[in-house]
Amino acid sequence: MKPMFLPGVEHNPQPSPHTDLIRKMQASGAEYPQIWHLFAFRPAATDHLSRFTQEIMRGEGPLSPGMRELIAAFTSYHNDCPF
Amino acid sequence: MPHIQLTDDLPGIRALFHFRPETAKPLCELADVLLHQPSSLSQAERELIATYVSSLNDCYYCQTSHGAIAAHHLNGNEDLVLQVKRDFKTAPISDKLKALLTIAGKVQQGGKRVTTEDIENARRLGATDREIHDTVLIAAAFCMYNRYVDGLATWAPEDPESYRRRAAVIAQSGYNQIPSDIQAQNRASAGGVTS
Repeated sequence: MKPMFLPGVEHNPQPSPHTDLIRKMQASGAEYPQIWHLFAFRPAATDHLSRFTQEIMRGEGPLSPGMRELIAAFTSYHNDCPF
Repeated sequence: MPHIQLTDDLPGIRALFHFRPETAKPLCELADVLLHQPSSLSQAERELIATYVSSLNDCYYCQTSHGAIAAHHLNGNEDLVLQVKRDFKTAPISDKLKALLTIAGKVQQGGKRVTTEDIENARRLGATDREIHDTVLIAAAFCMYNRYVDGLATWAPEDPESYRRRAAVIAQSGYNQIPSDIQAQNRASAGGVTS
């Protein structure tokens, strides 16, 4: 994987579930999405993003989770973000 | 007129927070961490980044409300906020903040527009990885807030004084209070009947 713009972010994971995930993937030599480093660097901010994502994607609502993921995938495609 | 039925009492994103309290809470908490809680970037600097991105996105409500909060932190200097929006390169702000605003402006166009040169330039002018990280997250988050506010065509007050009054409250108490304040207002306007 290519190094990120900010080594201070990539190499300073804070205690968080994403840090555990990163360690596991690194130990097994597998690739993983680098957005995990963003979530591991600043959990005080990104925990709120996770809770927001959970609510909007999986919270009670008339749109099925599949439909919501489709909207997210469609928008990400148009933003040229493959992940 | 908003695209969906919202309460008439609240402008901009506050009407959306009222409409959907479950998503309001993490969105306000994110704003509080990014803009209000202690950081090596001042509250004024962070509000200027949010205001600048909102002006690039042509979001009247967000650029006016956060511009007023930035001005509040700058002892009422609304001219400086205007200069940053019009042409931050000639505004009397630090070179480091100019470099961060350059990165924020690139994020507004699209994340991939940010280059290693932009990052190196910010570093050379003293920006830490944490400051660059937070700048990108503020810019990205405000692209979301701006699109949320305008994608549902919320209304925005025109009277600048109403933004100044509101700015004084937010500058003092931050963003975490907003969801519970809206709920309290809601209960009061429903005549004390809780829902």
